[in-house]
Amino acid sequence: MKLTKALIALSVATSLSACFSEESGGEITDKTMDHGYDSKHLSQLKAGIWVDPNGCDHWIIDDGNEGYLSQRLDRYGKPVCSGIAPPGTATGPYKEGTIFNDPA
Amino acid sequence: MADRFGYSTRALLGGAVAAAVAFATMTGAVQAQEKQTIRGAAYVPTIWVDPDGCEHWVMDDGAEGYMTPNVNRQGIPVCRKGSLCGELQSDQFFSSGSSTINKNGRARLAKFFKEAGARAYIVTGHTDSRASDEYNMGLSFRRATAVAKIGAAAGANIVDVRGYGERMPIATNKTAKGRAENRRVEIMCMR
Repeated sequence: MKLTKALIALSVATSLSACFSEESGGEITDKTMDHGYDSKHLSQLKAGIWVDPNGCDHWIIDDGNEGYLSQRLDRYGKPVCSGIAPPGTATGPYKEGTIFNDPA
Repeated sequence: MADRFGYSTRALLGGAVAAAVAFATMTGAVQAQEKQTIRGAAYVPTIWVDPDGCEHWVMDDGAEGYMTPNVNRQGIPVCRKGSLCGELQSDQFFSSGSSTINKNGRARLAKFFKEAGARAYIVTGHTDSRASDEYNMGLSFRRATAVAKIGAAAGANIVDVRGYGERMPIATNKTAKGRAENRRVEIMCMR
């Protein structure tokens, strides 16, 4: 029983260390992948929409440990302000790309 | 009054001198840079394509994630399909120089907006390169507005209307066929 617990603790520590290897002194050379727990190529991310205080849209992605935010632009480079939600709110499947249990 | 004039002239001259000095410093910096070693880390991004079909640079650095739109040096986003969902050949909807839509065109547009089912629409007008830039900016905006009004009447949520005149061609202006392609009104559907 103790051995099982120790093994679980070890495997969790290992998978988390992959996420935090920068902090533990390691270097992540391939920045195009989400490493460790729930690992994937970054092209697989699932986005929602965050509406800024001006009412304009941004793609928002909560990928467990990492958060991403990038402006939604139309094909001429102007902000898209679709009115999908009130300013200061996030909507859509922005937490769906991860199985990481995010406290917030 | 004369004093104020004199003052502003001196201020201008001062500005010019400062600019010249800044330029000289910059040239110096460029020369020095050739021998300089830049300290940095490799941050090579990959591409994430948003639901509209436009590209973003994305990096995962362990606990941090970074993302920013991929735009060219003119600020135009790099898009694979973009959100373009309707392109009107202006010749089918407007007579030359006019921004009044014919009856058949009005019916077609109302049908389009009722069936497209998007959350929001952006309408942009475009012309060929004949006539002046100023005239074309005005005409393209009036035509885009005419299309947007039909959309609004059909219950569509029009969030932006713009005229780009001849500044965003999609074909050559040297041939009649190219000019006809450039005379257009684009509708972007935002889901």
